[in-house]
Amino acid sequence: MSSIVEQIENEIASFQASAVKSNTGKIVSIADGVAKLEGLSGAMYNEMIDFGQGVYGIALNLEEDEVGCVILGDYSKLKEGDEATTTGKLLSVPVGMGLLGRVVDAIGNPIDGKGPINSTETYPVDQIAPGIIPRKSVDQPMQTGIMSIDSMIPIGRGQRELIIGDRSTGKTTIAIDTIINQAKINNQHRNEDGTFPEGFRPVYSIYVAIGQKNSNIARTIAVLEKAGAMEYTIIVSASAGDNPANQYIAPFAGASMGEFFMNNGMDALIVYDDLSKQAVAYRQISLILKRPSGREAYPGDVFYLHSRLLERSARVNEDNGNGSLTALPIIETQAGDVAAYIPTNVISITDGQVFLETDLFNQGIRPAVSVGLSVSRVGSAAQIKAIKKVAGKVKLQLAQFRELAAFAQFGSDLDAKTKAQLGRGARVVELFKQKAFNPIPVEVQSSLIYAVQNGYFDAIEVAKIVEATSSLRDFLETRGAKVMDTIRTEKAISDATEAALKTSLAEWVAGFSA
Amino acid sequence: MKRDKKIIRLAKKLVELSKDNGVVTVARVGEVLAGLKQVQHRHHLTVLKSFLNYLHREIALQTAVVSTPGALSGEALKAIEVTYSKIYGRPVTAVIKQDTSLIAGVRVRVGDDLYDASLAGRLQRLAENVS
Repeated sequence: MSSIVEQIENEIASFQASAVKSNTGKIVSIADGVAKLEGLSGAMYNEMIDFGQGVYGIALNLEEDEVGCVILGDYSKLKEGDEATTTGKLLSVPVGMGLLGRVVDAIGNPIDGKGPINSTETYPVDQIAPGIIPRKSVDQPMQTGIMSIDSMIPIGRGQRELIIGDRSTGKTTIAIDTIINQAKINNQHRNEDGTFPEGFRPVYSIYVAIGQKNSNIARTIAVLEKAGAMEYTIIVSASAGDNPANQYIAPFAGASMGEFFMNNGMDALIVYDDLSKQAVAYRQISLILKRPSGREAYPGDVFYLHSRLLERSARVNEDNGNGSLTALPIIETQAGDVAAYIPTNVISITDGQVFLETDLFNQGIRPAVSVGLSVSRVGSAAQIKAIKKVAGKVKLQLAQFRELAAFAQFGSDLDAKTKAQLGRGARVVELFKQKAFNPIPVEVQSSLIYAVQNGYFDAIEVAKIVEATSSLRDFLETRGAKVMDTIRTEKAISDATEAALKTSLAEWVAGFSA
Repeated sequence: MKRDKKIIRLAKKLVELSKDNGVVTVARVGEVLAGLKQVQHRHHLTVLKSFLNYLHREIALQTAVVSTPGALSGEALKAIEVTYSKIYGRPVTAVIKQDTSLIAGVRVRVGDDLYDASLAGRLQRLAENVS
């Protein structure tokens, strides 16, 4: 109450009798979240337009006699002839640490019923990406906790790695796993007073849900809460029921929230789930605005829509705070067609892709990562030595295994070397099977891969590898905790650590076989 | 009404022809209408509607609609005309419109631009800032 009185007193103190100028226009037509206005001769591109009653829009089309405007929020109250005013501001969203643990809509309004957002700072949703000079090469890992990705398609902080695949192939699961893993790592290093030790860089996550069912978003939030990851996460929701303008703007709003962390020397991870739906929303807006349509009826600037969004993810150098924003955009393909318009666009923009295959998923290989089609262009520079040492040859081995397996189908007489290669390959495939929402720490990952590479799994039947992996993981996290701690702190497997690891593995093999 | 670029261009030209020294005059508009009647354009009615639309806009740009809850002296009105003519660089005529909802002060509209120095506007902005 006292703050309101204070605000009124300040207003009275700053009272000036001068006139306030504004530029106005009238709604000529309104449909599907897009209004055409007559007047507004002073409107600027991307300026926020005030329609009154708490409804705002963005000026997207500036024509000679008309202004085309997308409306954010509920436009059912607006009608032809209503007046709108320019605000002189760009659309901005609240940013800051106060957003962590909250669920907000596309313009940063809280929708989780936990009261107002504790934030004093705002960022414009559409900002220019960092240029060449402030940037730095990717050199720090972003552990996803998924063995197949961390070993073969490593992601670095500041990288843009596309997750692409058909519907129901586990794209969101990979993203959620990554968020959970960041929270686990943060919690592992957090002091009792909630601070982090010097030198440790926590990763904060932003999950942008675009055009998804509300039930799915609720499920994701529940998973994150259960895993204790919500306190490091911001959820930006523009569900399927939201108007297209909100679905179009939500990724940009999320990027602004992420940029706050990057600009303040922190590391952040942003998941855009998914950009195909954002492109569809943008196509709808563009068609209603009567912009010329191109391939698949998308407007000509749909590439720029995604490139300007993803360019905002970067690793900046020490002079600019040394922060980073890693992006995991998701694209849904139709029947595995990666050559469609939007998938090819986003593939070309990003620094690599994790391709998920329906066939692998149905065979029970989950996460269904297609090793042949997945690639990380910059992440290997960020891999820690421990993983590099053991996983260097895994991708090649798996590729050779698939080739040999295809040939082995035609003949039964195989030499011992081929049989051994096939056996090892089959075990690696089984090793990479991982339950959802169960990220594996990097030190355990490297030890598990080390075990397979060095024949500790050779005596175990292929069908029992999943069980054996789980058993070994438990063993390493309990009785082998000391070795794991050493690998985690040293980030490498030294000769002494290797010897200790060998002893632990031998102990486990004896126990498991018995 | 379908927007035809050719008709819009013609309507805008007709508005330009209706001006005398940069100001729309009744005499010029009469001449333009007479000329239009002679020509009998294929889309005569559409051209007329479009011409009327742009004429309204042009007149709005040359008129300062002064909304006020009470009366305003002739001198004040003259001062408003002089001020806005200077701002826009063209002759602006002031017209009074009574609006009691403003409580006190004035609100002036010139074309799309709105200059608000009313108490009601002030209170509204205060409410927006506080909420």
